[in-house]
Amino acid sequence: MSWDDAALLALRSLGRRGARSLLAGLGVALGTTLLVALLSIAGTADSRIVSQLGHGGPATAIHVDDALPDPAGYNSDNLQSGPHRDLDDAALMAIRRAPHVTSVVPVLSSEALVVPCPGVTGGSPSAPPGCRQPAQEYFGALVGTDLTRSHDLPITVLAGRLPAPGSLTEVAVTQSYIERVHLDVTHPAAVLGSPVELATPQLLPGGNRFRGRWYRVAVVGVVAQTVDDGDLLVPIQQTQLARQWALAGGENQSFRRPTSPYSGLVVVADTLADVHAVRQEIFAIGYANGAPEHLVASVQKYLHVVDIVLGGIGSVALAIAVLGVTNTLLAAVRERWREIGVLKALGAADGDVARWFLVEAGLLGVSGGLVGTAVGTAVAASVAVIVNHYLVDQGLQGIDLGGLPVGLLFGAPVVAALLAVGAGVMPALRAARLPVREALGG
Amino acid sequence: MVSVKGLTHRYGEGPAALSVLCGVDMEVEPGGYAAVTGVSGAGKSTLLAILGGLEQVQGGSVVVAGEDVARLQGRELARFRRERIGFVFQDFGLLTMLTARENVEVALALAGVPRRDRRANADRLLVEVGLADRATHRPARLSGGELQRVAMARALANHPQVVLADEPTGNLDEGSAGRVMDLLERLRQERGCTLVVVTHNPELAARAERRLRLSRGRLAGL
Repeated sequence: MSWDDAALLALRSLGRRGARSLLAGLGVALGTTLLVALLSIAGTADSRIVSQLGHGGPATAIHVDDALPDPAGYNSDNLQSGPHRDLDDAALMAIRRAPHVTSVVPVLSSEALVVPCPGVTGGSPSAPPGCRQPAQEYFGALVGTDLTRSHDLPITVLAGRLPAPGSLTEVAVTQSYIERVHLDVTHPAAVLGSPVELATPQLLPGGNRFRGRWYRVAVVGVVAQTVDDGDLLVPIQQTQLARQWALAGGENQSFRRPTSPYSGLVVVADTLADVHAVRQEIFAIGYANGAPEHLVASVQKYLHVVDIVLGGIGSVALAIAVLGVTNTLLAAVRERWREIGVLKALGAADGDVARWFLVEAGLLGVSGGLVGTAVGTAVAASVAVIVNHYLVDQGLQGIDLGGLPVGLLFGAPVVAALLAVGAGVMPALRAARLPVREALGG
Repeated sequence: MVSVKGLTHRYGEGPAALSVLCGVDMEVEPGGYAAVTGVSGAGKSTLLAILGGLEQVQGGSVVVAGEDVARLQGRELARFRRERIGFVFQDFGLLTMLTARENVEVALALAGVPRRDRRANADRLLVEVGLADRATHRPARLSGGELQRVAMARALANHPQVVLADEPTGNLDEGSAGRVMDLLERLRQERGCTLVVVTHNPELAARAERRLRLSRGRLAGL
């Protein structure tokens, strides 16, 4: 008897005892649902927690400073910088060529005089929503970076969007800016669209007076970022213009010309396991750097324990369901005693009879596994949506729903089917070894 | 075609053992038709089961369709049943979840007949037993006589050399029993297979070329 013949017999047998087959399949489905839901939620929570440690960026991100390394920083997560050292394209290329480096994103920060809502009278009803409270100008910092690679950077968009890459007229602000303009940080969208005037400095000859390079931008987004210290996130082209402007002037004790093309880098390692090696490589190239590698490693160990516990709970549920398959098939063997005998009398070998029951177990496992995986995924996604709403309401980063473990989605039905086939082995052997005369009721 | 010499068989061990066959001898020529009668518990079904390889040979020799049944084990025994023997049971032995055609196809599937040929073969057999219009019916929708005819079609599916029928009319009314036996006999003659029938029915036994009575573990001609 071929496998497809066995499948036909198994399907018909399942259909004959539809309610019992349905219950056995539902048992597998429920077990798989629990396993998939728990592991999906655990997996999503893991990535969320690790992502939080990376401040919204990849947990494998390493911050590089335009400074020599401080020997005390070699074994520390914190960035501990020594004396200034220019960070140029040659250094950037050297780091990019290092083993296990996925990407290198340049950062260039610049000081600026920030004038919120220029020309707008605070309190005026006609003012844009972000300018209805009077705000003072202040000295802040522009954090310029390559926004085409924002996914590699520790940036979380809380409202609006990031400035268009290369734009000279758009800016994203942080929550500290919102506080400066006296808006409610729990409603960050209010600041969107408000104008800001910026002036980057150039020291005039004589060494005492500055002149500014003035330009106006619009706030297009609110972000949380740890790319560098600063209230305003801008495309790197804006800070490169600010640097050229400053280089054209002079310097004194308090104002140094920005000789370094980049003030920092964000280096992304291939995996968390590679972070330490990449950091050592950057130290060897001669730059201070920091990454929460030890913290992430410790947290991951705890998360792994949680995963094991949750996976264990799901596995127990699945095991119970699989025992249900065994029970169902044992009952089926007893019920089909006579049919087994007839098949053997017709010339079925023991293997043919075993195949019939194993295929039946496999069908229960596959169908239950597929349904369970679909339902489990839906449950996990629903939980994620609910949690997402809560996090966003709290002004925090939401969960990436695409983070549901794909391997689990494909693997769960296979595992359920294999377990069910395993559960069918004992009934199948019992049926196969049944003496034919006994089965025929002789 | 069927040659039995000194066949013994007992159930159980020790003093409580029950001997049902005590040196049975039997010969049936190729294409022959033998009927075995006897009271209930005489060992008729045991004899048939041994001939068909359903029960182990404990003592004596049994050669069926040229094969020494006592020497067959496992897969060889399954092959013997599949290729050499056709069984007809008193309770028909049809798989209730399959249609009449599929029941016949099961025997063909076990013999490794390709799927594309099975349906045609099964339909031809159902035509032979007069059930062409019942091919898609499940056993629950067939009468007793029809069920037994499907079972006969299945028994003949793989061109067996020996057909063993255990009380084939035991569950049928008089009219159906006669029609089934007419059919069985006709098919035997057309196909040239050997037929051994175990029955309580004297009329049925009277149709056989050789009539044997099993009594006290021994077989005697009538």
